[in-house]
Amino acid sequence: MNPEPSIGVITLNGELDIARKDELRSALSVTQSAHPVLIDLVGVTYADSTALSELLRFSLEAQERNVPVALLAISPQFLRVIEYARLDQALRVFTDRERALEYLHAS
Amino acid sequence: MASELRIVRSAQPGSAAPLRHALEAFMVALGVAPTVRIDIVTAVGEALANTIEHAYKGAEKVGDVELVARLDEKASTLAVEIIDHGTFIAPKRRRNRGLGLGIMKRASQSFTLQTVSGTSVRMLFDAAFLHGPH
Repeated sequence: MNPEPSIGVITLNGELDIARKDELRSALSVTQSAHPVLIDLVGVTYADSTALSELLRFSLEAQERNVPVALLAISPQFLRVIEYARLDQALRVFTDRERALEYLHAS
Repeated sequence: MASELRIVRSAQPGSAAPLRHALEAFMVALGVAPTVRIDIVTAVGEALANTIEHAYKGAEKVGDVELVARLDEKASTLAVEIIDHGTFIAPKRRRNRGLGLGIMKRASQSFTLQTVSGTSVRMLFDAAFLHGPH
């Protein structure tokens, strides 16, 4: 039986706006490992394009290293801003934890 | 019932959240539906972030950002204006700002930008939708 590959989890909360740009950048610069990453945004109630840029940069850099990244979010505002920013293809966003983990394990 | 909100803050990063919260409270008082409030706060939040990040870049002193929201029952619109007195920088010369501009355009019914003595971003939201889902 294969053990489950480990997954790095980054949890973010509250309103991710321009005031938290530096904090977000440092939270998203911790991992250089080869483990898949789940960015848990369940506690995020608002995000602006400053935050989306950081999330996108992190995902694209991970992609270059073949490290899968999944975003878990349930806030209606977050899901809508992703759509308005046309990032629903570039970022893998899940509203269900199990499905996010399935994606990471399968990748 | 108040149908105009006018609020001025220093264009600092920490001002974005209080300005969004004031707008949110104004819309709750007007009875704007939650799903519509999301669009409006999302669009206005981008304009605020934009102003805070760029309007007074390189300036000696950080100036103000003004948010004006007005419900016009006759025209059936909610107009929100974000005004600064800084220097406008074209989005294509900025990193990632195209993202914010796209969000503002898609989340509002009408979007205009004026750059006479500072920058004014004016967005219109159709009041016919304010009280129901769209």
